[in-house]
Amino acid sequence: MSEKPRIGIYICHCGLNIAGTVDVEELARYAASLPDVIVARDYVFMCSEPGQNLIKEDIKEKELNRIVIAACSPSMHEQTFRSVLESAGLNKYLLEMANIREHCSWIHSDRRKATEKAKEIVRMAASKARYLEPIEEKTFPTTRNVMILGGGVAGMRAAIELAEYGFEVYLVERKPILGGKSAVIGYISPGIRGKEIVQKMFERIRGNPRIHVFTQAELIELKGFAGNFTGKLRIHPKHVNERCNECGECEDACPIEISNEYDFSLSRRKAIYKPFPGSYPEGYIIDDRVCVKCGECVRACRRKAIDLDGEEKLIEIKFGALIIAVGYDPYRPSKGEFGYGLSDSVLTLFQLERLLDEDGPTRGEPIVRGKIPETIAFVQCVGSRSTTPSSRPYCSRMCCTSALTNAIRLKEKHPEIEIFFIYRDIMTYGSDEGLYEEAGKRMIKFIKYEGEPPQVQITPEGVFIEVTDYLLQESIRIPVDAVILSTGMIPPRDLGDVIAVTRATCGEEGFLREAHIKLAPVESPTRGIYIAGSVSGPKNIRESIISGSAAAAKAMALISRGEVVAEPMIAKVDEERCSGCGICISACPYNAISIEEKEGDRLARVEDALCMGCGTCASACPSGAMQQLGFKDIQIRAQISALSEVEGK
Amino acid sequence: MNREWTPRIVAFVCNWCTYAAADLAGTSRMQQPDSVRIVRLMCSGRADPQFVLEAIANGADGVIVAGCHPPSDCHYQEGNYRAFRRFMLLRRVLESMGVEKERFRLEWISASEARKWVEVVRSMTEDLKRLGPLRRDEEGIKVE
Ligand SMILES: Cc1cc2nc3c(=O)[nH]c(=O)nc-3n(C[C@H](O)[C@H](O)[C@H](O)COP(=O)(O)OP(=O)(O)OC[C@H]3O[C@@H](n4cnc5c(N)ncnc54)[C@H](O)[C@@H]3O)c2cc1C
Ligand code: SF4
Repeated sequence: MSEKPRIGIYICHCGLNIAGTVDVEELARYAASLPDVIVARDYVFMCSEPGQNLIKEDIKEKELNRIVIAACSPSMHEQTFRSVLESAGLNKYLLEMANIREHCSWIHSDRRKATEKAKEIVRMAASKARYLEPIEEKTFPTTRNVMILGGGVAGMRAAIELAEYGFEVYLVERKPILGGKSAVIGYISPGIRGKEIVQKMFERIRGNPRIHVFTQAELIELKGFAGNFTGKLRIHPKHVNERCNECGECEDACPIEISNEYDFSLSRRKAIYKPFPGSYPEGYIIDDRVCVKCGECVRACRRKAIDLDGEEKLIEIKFGALIIAVGYDPYRPSKGEFGYGLSDSVLTLFQLERLLDEDGPTRGEPIVRGKIPETIAFVQCVGSRSTTPSSRPYCSRMCCTSALTNAIRLKEKHPEIEIFFIYRDIMTYGSDEGLYEEAGKRMIKFIKYEGEPPQVQITPEGVFIEVTDYLLQESIRIPVDAVILSTGMIPPRDLGDVIAVTRATCGEEGFLREAHIKLAPVESPTRGIYIAGSVSGPKNIRESIISGSAAAAKAMALISRGEVVAEPMIAKVDEERCSGCGICISACPYNAISIEEKEGDRLARVEDALCMGCGTCASACPSGAMQQLGFKDIQIRAQISALSEVEGK
Repeated sequence: MNREWTPRIVAFVCNWCTYAAADLAGTSRMQQPDSVRIVRLMCSGRADPQFVLEAIANGADGVIVAGCHPPSDCHYQEGNYRAFRRFMLLRRVLESMGVEKERFRLEWISASEARKWVEVVRSMTEDLKRLGPLRRDEEGIKVE
């Protein structure tokens, strides 16, 4: 760009976040002495309206054409300040952020050293800014529909929301039925069953032609960018078609029997089965993993609804936004952890919920080893809050509420059962606190411990729990008939496959990471990909549903305009310099580059819509012909050389 | 050697993983040596060998290239592999120029690994303090 740089540098105090450690006034004086700097100012909150106006006025009055903001991370406010430039009539890419908060004031305490470091950071940014150029934004038409991965409450809610606003939705569920864990939870709060919640949602999905449900399906490839994705689905055969009227004769004929995962192994099912009454999509399903293709069911079916030879299908779908709502896995204790797997008297909370569900294997009766137990102990925080070496450090949030709901239900049905509730802290937050009070009224005995977790002892004389009661400061040993382990939530075991396909990223605990935990809780760091439900961390049903709605709203905001701005900082070829060697082609992860003949010359050509802006080709190009906008060689090199050079004015 | 001397490290980090990790270290107020200057790139694959040489020529005592974990964390599918291949080559070149291998590190640091980031900064700063400033006056290190 031929125009001479006229730089304005704006140093934010961020209250005391920066000014508490960095001498911002000295920094401003220093910044003003840098080459091509017309003005440098410090201000208490640059992102505030008066702060923004300061910049806008300077741009106009002092004819600034490059702006450096020394403040927080670009991930916080780069967009904010780009809009400031835009509204002052400047191309918004003539902005450089100098991160003196996350990378300086917050990680150092020595004021002098922090100030010196901040000067260097600003100097490097200003040096790069001198070489910034306007970047033109291109828009592409969007595909006005959405794919949702995962048909739990979060995914279903998002699908309903989008479809009712008129968008086509592809709801992709790996299992044969929708509903996720909520469908089998039993009582989620006094008087409400998880199944009733999901069935209300099934009704709205069934009645909506815009929702295309793919069960036994997975996304195996994702291409494209926000507004224009193409996904490849692998759909496993169902083997049973719509002619099925659920008469159940096939089930009787099937010789294969295995443990029923929908009842958390409390019952058994056949290879051809129906998960539970009212599951959706309707009809029987054949479990391909165990079916031996003996043909008994085919012979038993009078409506000729079964075809054992169906094959898997691959289909391609175009969509504008993707919502990932693949949920969580229940924590599975290791063998012997709190007695798990050593005795039929030790159950998980999920198993108890199945027993208390009218559709469950015991028709709602809490039958453990053939009888209704006289004493039951709940053990909280199994798998959560580092109770054992294999458990996770976080609180799973819903197990206290859920365990109390079911403890109260037990008391409602059988007041004579003695219940011990062994816990470290009770996390019945918000309105669920009422459950805790209710449990006290119903004489549920709370035993608090700290430190050593309780021991579940399986002996020939029976099952005992030994725990040091925090209030009594004494070890007690209680004989019990059943132990309920309140297992927490962990990231789905095969989340890695979803991450590999979608490039979503996971955070510290292995759940998907939000773009910002507070400011952008349902957005992934990648534009056009949103996150809903418990896949971003423990949530109850209500919270999962709320985030499903939120993700749908975010997806709509992206696609409803009909066009999106493409990645602006893409690669560009300097045709004068390009020798057509083609090295860039092998560097590009997206096949966005090709070699073309142009007036007898071989030249590299970048397909703008395919380039994602990583810049890998630019660093591979031997002749410097390939450049990444916003990260050109000359810009980065200026930034680096400012490490040593302090040019005068 | 002067106990006060702090080495200068230039870190070329990708926007999606390592830059975010350094941000998280900041948000979590994890105190660190003041040795690092970060150059944000979109992908570690953009870390041009030229940049590394340039950093050394301009006074860096050490250089870090850092990005997302292989195989599948890279935001751009496989930019991190390109970074890896270049790194191996460049490290040999640098060694032949007399730059000790402790001065040039490639690290995979995901967005949630603030602790790892701080550990890398700390250990590299210690290594460089032991090695002392990178001397540029002799035959080897001259960069265009
Ligand atoms: C022991 C226990 C008890 C609980 N009790 C209660 C309670 O009483 N009240 C309450 O409010 N909450 C309770 N919860 C929490 C509740 O289960 C969750 O809030 C809720 O199920 C989260 O919904 P979701 O849609 O995010 O995830 P899920 O219910 O996990 O649904 C995710 C869906 O995605 C599918 N899927 C997974 N991977 C893929 C893939 N790669 N491709 C396509 N589809 C995929 C899954 O098959 C599943 O159908 C309990 C949790 C536990 C562990
Ligand atoms: S909700 Fe209760 S049981 Fe679950 S991890 Fe938190 S404290 Fe433990």
